[in-house]
Amino acid sequence: MKRGLGFYLRIYARILVQDIKSKMSYRADFIISTLGMICTNIAGFVSFWIVFQNFPSVDGWSYYEMLFLYGFSLVSLTPVQCLFDNNWSLRMYVYSGDFIKYCFRPINLFFYYQSEVFDIKGLGQLAFGIGTLVYAWAKLGLPVTALMIVKMIVFLITASLIMIALQNAAAATCFWIQNSFYVLDFVFRFKDYAKYPITIFSPVFRFIFTFLMPIAFIAYYPSLVILHPDEVPLLSWLSPVVGLVFFFLSYKIWMYGAMKYSGTGS
Amino acid sequence: MSNVIELKNVIKEFKVLNRHEGLKGSIKDLFSRDYKTVRAVDGISMTIEQGEIVGYLGPNGAGKSTTIKMMTGVLEPTSGGITVGGVVPCRSRTKLAQEIGVVFGQRSQLWWALPLIESFRLLKDIYQIPDAEYDEMLRFYQSLVDIEPLLHKPVRQMSLGQRTLSDILAAFLHNPKIVFLDEPTIGLDVSMKAKIRTLIHALNQEKHTTVILTTHDMGDVDALCRRIVIIDKGKMLYDNDIEHLKGFFGSYRTLKIRPEEALSQAAEAIAKELPDFRVSADEEWISILVDEEKQKVLDVLGQLQHTHVIRDMQLEEISTEEVIKKIYEEGVQ
Amino acid sequence: MKLKKYLTFTRAGIIEALQFRLSTVVMVIGNLLYLIVTYFLWKAIFASVNNEPIGGMTFYDTLIYLVLATALNGFMEMYTVWEMGRSIQSGKIVLDLLRPMEYRKYLFWSYSGGFVVQFLTTFLPTFIVVTAVTQGAVPLGLNLVWFMISVVMAVSINYSIDFLVGTVCLYTESIWGINIMKQVVILLLSGATVPLAFFPEPLKTVVQYLPFQSIYNAPLTLLLNKNPEPLAILTTLGTQLLWVIVMLLLGKLFWRVSLRQITVNGG
Repeated sequence: MKRGLGFYLRIYARILVQDIKSKMSYRADFIISTLGMICTNIAGFVSFWIVFQNFPSVDGWSYYEMLFLYGFSLVSLTPVQCLFDNNWSLRMYVYSGDFIKYCFRPINLFFYYQSEVFDIKGLGQLAFGIGTLVYAWAKLGLPVTALMIVKMIVFLITASLIMIALQNAAAATCFWIQNSFYVLDFVFRFKDYAKYPITIFSPVFRFIFTFLMPIAFIAYYPSLVILHPDEVPLLSWLSPVVGLVFFFLSYKIWMYGAMKYSGTGS
Repeated sequence: MSNVIELKNVIKEFKVLNRHEGLKGSIKDLFSRDYKTVRAVDGISMTIEQGEIVGYLGPNGAGKSTTIKMMTGVLEPTSGGITVGGVVPCRSRTKLAQEIGVVFGQRSQLWWALPLIESFRLLKDIYQIPDAEYDEMLRFYQSLVDIEPLLHKPVRQMSLGQRTLSDILAAFLHNPKIVFLDEPTIGLDVSMKAKIRTLIHALNQEKHTTVILTTHDMGDVDALCRRIVIIDKGKMLYDNDIEHLKGFFGSYRTLKIRPEEALSQAAEAIAKELPDFRVSADEEWISILVDEEKQKVLDVLGQLQHTHVIRDMQLEEISTEEVIKKIYEEGVQ
Repeated sequence: MKLKKYLTFTRAGIIEALQFRLSTVVMVIGNLLYLIVTYFLWKAIFASVNNEPIGGMTFYDTLIYLVLATALNGFMEMYTVWEMGRSIQSGKIVLDLLRPMEYRKYLFWSYSGGFVVQFLTTFLPTFIVVTAVTQGAVPLGLNLVWFMISVVMAVSINYSIDFLVGTVCLYTESIWGINIMKQVVILLLSGATVPLAFFPEPLKTVVQYLPFQSIYNAPLTLLLNKNPEPLAILTTLGTQLLWVIVMLLLGKLFWRVSLRQITVNGG
């Protein structure tokens, strides 16, 4: 019996539909959570706007360029929010021993675990991010060509893999250390730093945020491909590769931890 | 008949850190290399045939769940050979998963928020169960228990009994060769226990599914298992028919009496009067386990009549419960 | 073969030791990272106006303000909404209500220990480091007294708002949604993320009339103002006192009304 990509997509779609159905039955919670998410995004945008009321630019980046970067980071952070939210519960499952229940299905363990939760309120962030991107795109007078849009989509998707990878790896630490919440929280805060151009930092931190904690790959490097098409640095072109490699590594770490754990936990 | 599970001299060892107590101890632990190797499973061999129901028994920490984990492929044995359904479990875990079902009494594997029928449909997709087989299975389920009211209820709203029932049905849904049931009746009331036992029995009969049952409830064993395997401290104590086991204790009888006084007080008093016997009490009877090779039941009864007014009495063969208790304590000679 | 065996022990030993300290180390690094990003960001922002002061605040003023606001935030967060939400959902609230103590007081005082610890371990060290590093940017005089009085009132207002929002959990299961809304509104409108001095005119006026600015803006302004007028100090403290009383009464009232409704409905 072969279980290929089509099989997994079909299963995911099924679980997704069911999950959304059951979430809808808690209508109040759903609405309030979505409102909360929208509030978070609006508040983020308002602080951004207030700063630019006082200052014309940041390190040579104009208001609309910064806005583009901001929108880019919001969109590329959506998949981790929507699709991989179950990582936040991993610690609890491992601690209570309930994690073992995921080990007996004839399908990929990582997939099976992550498929269980779809965080629908992340879609509010997606809409907000897309709106910001489109607005900034228009204001900057960037050309709208098929190529640009394809580039945009490819780079957004691969950029989103970075944060997913960071979160997977952070969540997987719970297989080795107890109470690993702070590791996950530490990594989660990276998302707030993704929306700034890396050029504002000193060379040391530029290096750190590029190679050690690859925050700059969440929005800065990939968005340059669209924003400054004439002077794209090599690292920008490499960002899809970086995204894929990081995701693959984090998957391996996660699975390794899961295998190791399921052996010992009672 | 074919062997569906084979274990040959299986050993599993864990490394554990010796922990110390208190603040001083925990600082000591930081630098400690004080590891010890614990043998959770120590040279177990057995073969199980297709269609058997085997009661897998042992006190807590005996190594039961470690063995189950090795048989399901979650854990790799330190040494020894295991084949389950024709494959080596830890090497082809996903392949094996298609052939087995697992139920933990306390941990539901169903989707918490979904109605049972949706969980079933997802499992149908995951296990790639053909439509005809799936429909046939649901019809069969319906003939065994009234599942209709359960189907549209989200799992989280179910009682423990309903959830266990659902979990068992889900485990059998893809018609696996082997089903592992870990304490399926724990925490359930008497009627639910009976229902679950009937269900397991019917599924085993109809589908010829091999069932490995770990439990502490001898009622489960009496109702379902002909063969039992007992392990303790990782070692095999017994592997044979349950009747054969009782044969070891053929000279034992359980004398049940109902005295005039309050049961618990009387039980205490009797326990003092007969220090060499096992005395226990439930709501109705005081049970005294007597080895007739050593002392006749009538003598014991005579002795008791001097000190207690006995209103009623019964004589029974040794119960499974008593046999298992004796084995945990004394082993098999 | 032997070496490998020993290395396993070494590795396990390292992991064990790390578990003990990792949480502290990671948290310190996390906060440092935040400081670094804030520093460079505002440095770049002020560079765009040739380091001229904006709204009366220089680059260093802004930085000190934001760092201290974060430190304050660290100990103001009492997780009241979570606590209340969880005990309402689990039904534990019934036991809490049976205590011979008003629930809002019980909740406050049962957390107050952590409060003191947080103040001593996060705010105080941050304050000392900032004062030492900036050498003179933080005035050390009577303003410290005003600041302490102001912080006490800020804590009270913050707790009252938390309690008010927590009470909403009697009506809905959505703790996460309620809490996040409260959090972002307070952080933005209190001047914790961007100093109120930068707010454009109409917005600034609106915010002045809301209770939130009394939580972060008020104490920090009192602390950092080098030559304050007595009237300004009095106005700030007076406004805070007013909000302390108003929010306290509102919180109590809402709790009492909600509780009655819930007990009547038997929810």
